[in-house]
Amino acid sequence: MPKQINVALIGNPNTGKTSVFNALTGLNQKVGNYPGITVEKKEGVCKLPRGVKAHIIDLPGTYSLNASSLDESVVIELLLNKNDKDYPDVAVVITDVENLKRNLLIYTQIKDLEIPTILVINMSDRMAYKGISLDIEKLEAQLDTKIALISTRKKQGVDNLKDLISNYQNLSIEPCLSTQDIDIDYFKGLKKAFPNQSLYKLWLVITQDVNFGKISRNTIKDTSSFKTKKDSDLKRLQQKETIKRYQFINNVLKEGQTIDLKTAKDLRIKLDRILTHKVWGYLIFGIILLTIFQAIYDWSSVPMDFIDNAFASLSDWTKNTLPAGAFTNLLAEGIISGLGGIVIFIPQIAFLFLFIAVLEESGYMSRVVFLMDRIMRRFGLSGKSVVPLISGTACAIPAIMATRNIESWKERLITILVTPFTTCSARLPVYLIIISLVIPEGRFFGLSYQALTLMLLYLIGFGAAVGSAWILNKILKIKSRKFFVVEMPNYKLPLFKNVALTVLEKTKSFIFGAGKIILAISIVLWFLASYGPGTEFNNAEEIVTEQYASNNLSQIELEQKIASHKLEHSFIGIAGHAIEPAIRPLGYDWKIGIAIVSSFAAREVFVGTLATIYSVGSDQEATIKNRMAAEVNPILGGPLFNLASGISLLLFYAFAMQCMSTLAIVKRETNSWKWPILQLTIMTAIAYIVAFIAYQFLK
Amino acid sequence: MNGIIQNIFVFSSLTIAVVFLVRKFVWTPKKKTAKTCGINDCRCH
Amino acid sequence: MTLAELKRGQNAIITDVSSKKIPLKLLEMGCLPGNSVELVQVAPFSDPMYLNINGTHLAIRKETAIHILIETNDA
Repeated sequence: MPKQINVALIGNPNTGKTSVFNALTGLNQKVGNYPGITVEKKEGVCKLPRGVKAHIIDLPGTYSLNASSLDESVVIELLLNKNDKDYPDVAVVITDVENLKRNLLIYTQIKDLEIPTILVINMSDRMAYKGISLDIEKLEAQLDTKIALISTRKKQGVDNLKDLISNYQNLSIEPCLSTQDIDIDYFKGLKKAFPNQSLYKLWLVITQDVNFGKISRNTIKDTSSFKTKKDSDLKRLQQKETIKRYQFINNVLKEGQTIDLKTAKDLRIKLDRILTHKVWGYLIFGIILLTIFQAIYDWSSVPMDFIDNAFASLSDWTKNTLPAGAFTNLLAEGIISGLGGIVIFIPQIAFLFLFIAVLEESGYMSRVVFLMDRIMRRFGLSGKSVVPLISGTACAIPAIMATRNIESWKERLITILVTPFTTCSARLPVYLIIISLVIPEGRFFGLSYQALTLMLLYLIGFGAAVGSAWILNKILKIKSRKFFVVEMPNYKLPLFKNVALTVLEKTKSFIFGAGKIILAISIVLWFLASYGPGTEFNNAEEIVTEQYASNNLSQIELEQKIASHKLEHSFIGIAGHAIEPAIRPLGYDWKIGIAIVSSFAAREVFVGTLATIYSVGSDQEATIKNRMAAEVNPILGGPLFNLASGISLLLFYAFAMQCMSTLAIVKRETNSWKWPILQLTIMTAIAYIVAFIAYQFLK
Repeated sequence: MNGIIQNIFVFSSLTIAVVFLVRKFVWTPKKKTAKTCGINDCRCH
Repeated sequence: MTLAELKRGQNAIITDVSSKKIPLKLLEMGCLPGNSVELVQVAPFSDPMYLNINGTHLAIRKETAIHILIETNDA
């Protein structure tokens, strides 16, 4: 009896496969990537009876081995490759008691691969509600397997499943379908050419272009003793195969399943009458969206303040406790602040994903896709682009990763390219401080001008995303087959465990995806801001002390002036001065220039950098505002931060692609540098032009 | 003494950060073998 | 008639899915000749269509539905 076996979980989407996986592995699971492609690999460990350990891999949900998307192809790639270290010793096919007929299709295909297979029928708690009764023994006999009847919601049946898995060697590996029945002559020829191989596996190689051991599609094409068919004929045979499989399934279910339609209830149809209604459907969706945004905003302000203070205190404590010196400064100002900048967004991101996970688990998300598809298509997007666009208001990184379920490559690419236009949470600190500085008090129909401006910025972000999608759709000539099928699953109450694990996983991906990059850039920027060439920098203390000798400044004020002088003459200060001519037409000076360059790491760094430049302690926001308000425009006289330059700055931030982390993710998901570089250049150009026009027009 | 150690740490951290960023952004990834499509809808791009 | 012309309340049977424009996936989800189909709800402009095909509830775009041939059995 081997000490560790490989188990693969396979099944249609919406069958509760994830719940079974979670029930088996608990927290002993991890999410990674399949090498070379952007599909998530979910695996975990489970202890079985008799001291056997099961390495469980949760394969992407699929309706059939005939893959129609990248993640579905992962399934067939693994199951044809006996040498893969994850090749299963036993396959567990998960089905849902309400959709047994359709779910069994893939069961029959897996069985035909001659892998020991267990059938799980999940959601057994719904049987009475739907008037379904099953004769398990008959089903086991006709399907030639062992069946585990499970309800993950009621936590029943999982132990039985573990038992069945540990007894996998007693399972039969007889196929369901006799492959040659699809076309006797064709398969006779195939059998003659490759006498020692499974016919079904050869068939998959021909139709799917996957490799099976040393046999590939070309091997078969080149075999002179066998004549293969053209694609349209092969497709006809695949249809025939599908029909035969369903005939088999129908016969099995005729004996093994009875449905009493009189007792069956259907909540789904009743709910869908309203939720997908031409008018009510959209209204309800709009209300749900607004509620979500309001909740996220309210709920995350408390933890965000807490995190802000905690990191500020940590930074101070470090400076005071550790011996003074360069590295202590790096720790306090570079590393801890950098980490703080990442951690502070976790509440917003976690809450947004919480809501999205709940909507998906409940089944409502499919209805959203249905409602939005037509509108989205006019802009070159798909109904499935809604989730990424909404997620982008927290952070573009997990949003872009969420595009993986969009079938059409063109629609997916456009979604990836335009998502960064949506107003992500990192822009908020910049928006808030500029708005409070330059937008006047006053109300318009009960809403303050400041609140209206913020809302307008959100709308601009969304509008820019959709508008540029429309343009890209016209410009990009990419051939991609597109077909759109979305299943409308039953409504169900979300399982807390599933939602929690999803939120945990998505938040981790944000932290580690963006986190490392932001931290590295923070360190580099700290260095560039703390060191500078030449005497102006190195002799800062002397120069400033001399300059203000007659002003009688307190020790703190003097230190702040020194810090400000040092910043001006540091590497980054020189960079800021250098780009000043380019940004003056936008209404900025070199100080703002520095802040813009620094916020390349993370946009919220903008505020902190300004604080240092204006020689203020960075925790005194009111003082920052006062200092900014007092800044004088060196050329025109008058305040530097007036309506014109303020709006110009807001618009610049709305359109600029400034997040290095987002660029890295786009590169990974599109597998090339072409797209992120295009994104960077074009978005920066748009930001510059719009800010320029705004300033020149308003000044 | 303290100053020198501090400076060493600073420059090590800086080097690690720069190397990390260079590897992430500048190093060109290996080309992956292009797959031809099956007879069903193309899943590659 | 084609599936795209199906109205709410009509009962229909699928008769032909041999068009090359229909992805195999749809057949594998139960869209096969002889199976029943019913329109549950339709989005504005009849696109996408929310259908109940042989017990499976799904939505497809009109551009796919026009290639699926059906027969209604209203008297």
